[in-house]
Amino acid sequence: MLSKLLKYDLKYMIKNMTIFYILSIFFAITTRILFNLEQSIIINIIGQISVGCMFSMIASILINTMMRSWVRFKDSLYKDEAYLTHTLPVTKTELYNSKFIQTLIFFFIGFFVILISLFIAYYSKDNWLVLTDYIKTITTGLNMSTSFFVIMFITLIFLEVFNAIQCGFYGMILGHKKNNGKLGYSILFGFIIYLLAQALVLALIFVYGLFDSSVMELFKTAAVSIDVHAFKILAIVASLLYIVIIFVMSILCKKELNKGVNIE
Amino acid sequence: MSNMKLLEVKKLDKYFDNKKILKDINFSVSKGKIVGLLGKNGAGKSTLIKLINDLLTPTNGEIFVNGNKIGVETKKIISYLPERTYLNKQMKVSEVINYFEDFYDNFDSEKAKRLLKDLDLDINQKLTKMSKGMQEKVQLVLVMSRNADLYVLDEPLGGVDPATRDYILDTILSNFNENASVIISTHLISDIEKILDEVIFIDKGQIVLQSDADKLRNKENASIDEIFRRMFKC
Repeated sequence: MLSKLLKYDLKYMIKNMTIFYILSIFFAITTRILFNLEQSIIINIIGQISVGCMFSMIASILINTMMRSWVRFKDSLYKDEAYLTHTLPVTKTELYNSKFIQTLIFFFIGFFVILISLFIAYYSKDNWLVLTDYIKTITTGLNMSTSFFVIMFITLIFLEVFNAIQCGFYGMILGHKKNNGKLGYSILFGFIIYLLAQALVLALIFVYGLFDSSVMELFKTAAVSIDVHAFKILAIVASLLYIVIIFVMSILCKKELNKGVNIE
Repeated sequence: MSNMKLLEVKKLDKYFDNKKILKDINFSVSKGKIVGLLGKNGAGKSTLIKLINDLLTPTNGEIFVNGNKIGVETKKIISYLPERTYLNKQMKVSEVINYFEDFYDNFDSEKAKRLLKDLDLDINQKLTKMSKGMQEKVQLVLVMSRNADLYVLDEPLGGVDPATRDYILDTILSNFNENASVIISTHLISDIEKILDEVIFIDKGQIVLQSDADKLRNKENASIDEIFRRMFKC
């Protein structure tokens, strides 16, 4: 049944997100074309507008993926549609997993479309060299490989955003339990859970620092010239902690849902 | 018809923020019965129905359907019509049919299409383009197109015109088998009383009367509608 639930959750997201994907790529193409034309004031103005539109679509992809995931979660589990959702012959765990996987998939798609858009708009040998040189400057300073830096950077952003989305899910579950259907509690609980998750990551890194002086230095000094080893450790430990928190929180969400719902 | 209990509700309580909504509800429904769940506004009818459908969690007590606690197994055999429109309005009727076909093994899509045609409803139309009454008809068709064991209908006649009510009652009567049961909650007692086998009167969260419909009529020498009006006179 999970695959069937997922099919409809994905359909919902596709219907709502496709327009942003198309517009993002469309403006990437227009940006590319306009900056390859013979330049004039008018062309330049239109080109800048096109760039602005492309970046606003990129922002829309990120914001809408997050917002639509929350809206879908709330509508499906707690609004009128819940009368259908909760009477389907599926477990609450399957309901949650479907939303979880749907969000994960659309974040991957979103990141992919953003990369494609940026590639279309800006790719050239010169720009590629500038970008790689820039990253190399950073990674040389940090004494780490470029691939390690890029992977860690993307992973951390992805985990951070995904953690925020799941905090929203958990906040809605607890908020609804506290005060049926009232949005205020959902937002409040979501925000508190997010802060607690961040504080927990920080606290655990601090605990790790008790055994690793280079990591502890991050808490003690504002100097930029920190041991690069500490940055590596910070990135790895933070990523692992986020994964654990996301996993544990998903278990807590399912446990709470399995206790039952009260749909007004 | 079998006397086996299809639905059993035992010592059921439901509180919202310490406010009693249902208290000590006990009743059972046998197979092959049409039961009217009757009561004034706010008596607790919809709350009881929601508890049977896992939309609310009991404070105390238990509900069994075919011997199973409320869960995936019971949802396979209960066909529920809520008092509100609950379908994704962005969907076309045909998409909703596919949705029901995907999730319910006992859904008969051919029957659904036939019933929709009888009611002049276009399966290619989006729900958002339909009136509330039309959406309610679509929901009723979907619910009655399942070969379920228990149909739970919350105010099925509420939003429709009198001519359609007769069609709906005919649909209810002709679309369930002798091993299935129907629970109907409604205010429009005179419209449904001719089809009822049993009645449950509910008031202030408690069952105040449960009886065979014919026996009650004979005993009180009045229609169910009249008995209800007498009992709940303001």
